[in-house]
Amino acid sequence: MEREIIISPIGGIPSSVTVPVRKAVAQNFGLPARIVPLLQHIDFAYSPHRQQHHSTPILDKLAALLPHPGCRILAITERDLYIPILTHVYGEAQLKGTAAIISLYRLSDSNPPSLVQESGLTTQRSLKEALHELGHTLGLKHCPDSSCLMHYCRKMSDVDHKTDRFCRYCRVWLQDALEEDRLSLG
Amino acid sequence: MNPDTRILVIDDEPILRESLQAWLERDNYTVEAVGSGKEGLERISQIPFDLVFLDLKLEDINGIQVLSRIKEEDPDTAVVMITAYGSVPSAVEAMKEGAEDYLLKPFEPEELSVLIEKIISHKARERENIYLRQEKQERSRFESLLGQSEVMQEIFNFIEDIAPTDSTVLIAGETGTGKELAAKAIHATSHRCEGPFVAVNCGSLPEQLMESELFGYEQGAFTDAKQSKKGRLELANSGTLFLDEVGEIGPRMQIDLLRVLEEHSFTRLGGTRPIKTDFRVIAASNRDLARTVREGGFREDLYYRLNVIPLEMPPLRKRKEDIPLLAEHFLSRFRQETNKEIEHISRQALDLMMLYDWPGNVRELENAIERAVVVGKSKNIQPEDLPISREAEMLGQGSLQEMEKAHILHVLKQNDWNISRSAKVLGIDRSTLYKKLQRYNLRQKA
Repeated sequence: MEREIIISPIGGIPSSVTVPVRKAVAQNFGLPARIVPLLQHIDFAYSPHRQQHHSTPILDKLAALLPHPGCRILAITERDLYIPILTHVYGEAQLKGTAAIISLYRLSDSNPPSLVQESGLTTQRSLKEALHELGHTLGLKHCPDSSCLMHYCRKMSDVDHKTDRFCRYCRVWLQDALEEDRLSLG
Repeated sequence: MNPDTRILVIDDEPILRESLQAWLERDNYTVEAVGSGKEGLERISQIPFDLVFLDLKLEDINGIQVLSRIKEEDPDTAVVMITAYGSVPSAVEAMKEGAEDYLLKPFEPEELSVLIEKIISHKARERENIYLRQEKQERSRFESLLGQSEVMQEIFNFIEDIAPTDSTVLIAGETGTGKELAAKAIHATSHRCEGPFVAVNCGSLPEQLMESELFGYEQGAFTDAKQSKKGRLELANSGTLFLDEVGEIGPRMQIDLLRVLEEHSFTRLGGTRPIKTDFRVIAASNRDLARTVREGGFREDLYYRLNVIPLEMPPLRKRKEDIPLLAEHFLSRFRQETNKEIEHISRQALDLMMLYDWPGNVRELENAIERAVVVGKSKNIQPEDLPISREAEMLGQGSLQEMEKAHILHVLKQNDWNISRSAKVLGIDRSTLYKKLQRYNLRQKA
């Protein structure tokens, strides 16, 4: 079964974000990655009370849209995301699952996020969060090393501080997870 | 962030419960979530938790009442109250009742993780203090490996055969069978005997402390690193590194250790300079490590790297003929230490010891003799001086696991379910006892 990662922009996400994310994903996970819009909107996850979108049901919806079992999906939205206990999240992923999402809302250095062209800084942040959330889908957990991609970022300066690389531990676990994933798909 | 940190979420709103659980699990914590105060208290009575997130307004029992019941059950459990904006005064009241902190929902992500780290590191420091105290006590234990039984004679011969090599040894055996003594005997018989024997109890320290303990650190590597410190890998240079309870090593440390074993070099925390080191590794575990590998809890590559020469220490029940020799040895030691005029062990006491199956092995026997010397009133140790009751005497039937369970229960009852005291009597540390309580589903009846 062929494995691949689908980068799925929701709404008008500029190619200055999607293209570098696709390249970084393919390079870091050693899997083919392509850009395929799977969801037109995420209105179903909108909370009028919080005026934000609840990320968990979006992940459920994305997982149900999986084209074939070897896929993982990373959605990118410009809307602000939350989970009920937290005021906001930069992204969410199904731990050892298939779907992940990141939000440009707080990652972008323009407010609201641009639908045409994002800055290099926004792209860098998006790329880090994309790899981080996809890492979760492969079972990687948060890493205490503040320079590692799997480090849990509490604030934007943490995102900017971390590098665009996995630390040596997370690299080993990532290789283990990819191998396990390959074997499970036969 | 350590999977050994157990967190319980008690909240009657499923969506809050689930999202908090998912968030914490991603941070490597072991998390359970329940929807009512009753379920929460039931779970806490079954297994210990390091931290409980408790909703202040539960449908069945008031959060403050749940809090005081948790603190009654285990004062070591940290409790953080979850509250909505309108209920801050009640949260403050909860803090007076012993809650460590409170959180207003929804939380700022920063607030949540900072709070957990603060509580967990505080608990880690407490555990480290306990470990250091235990380590001090350990120094006086087991000065020699004793045994006249055939099985022990075979072990002595085997140790002599393997000692001159530099191969890694993996010692298996139940708690209290003398795995560290065997390691010391290998070291003492090897060409490294002039070098240091450095022991590390991998089960006693949280992973981060373990890292600095093993690798050492450079000045400024972390907040408290006021000056550089050598780690045990460096201290073991030209000697033997003994990794006790190696099965308890966390996943991160497993990767580091494998690398050190392969490359014989490492860097201190916060350092860049590779340090070459030359030591022999002897590891020990009371777990079935091969099974732990199959279950995914231990890296297979590290297991094969450690299990070059396997050595199994027999349980005391399989070498009962050694009991009189060991008992006399311990009697003589404790007689000296206490200055009490106890001369012998009575025939009846010895008979009782021979009948008993000693699930805690030699360490339990040592503790039993120590107790008998302290409480004994006559010149000879009598059966009633030994902490082996009639109930324990009947333990000889059933599987090893049944015996261990029954014995742990017996010791807990004798010590009013005081975990620290019971662990001391059983000759194991508190975390091991907690794990066994969980495994056997043992809990104090209300």
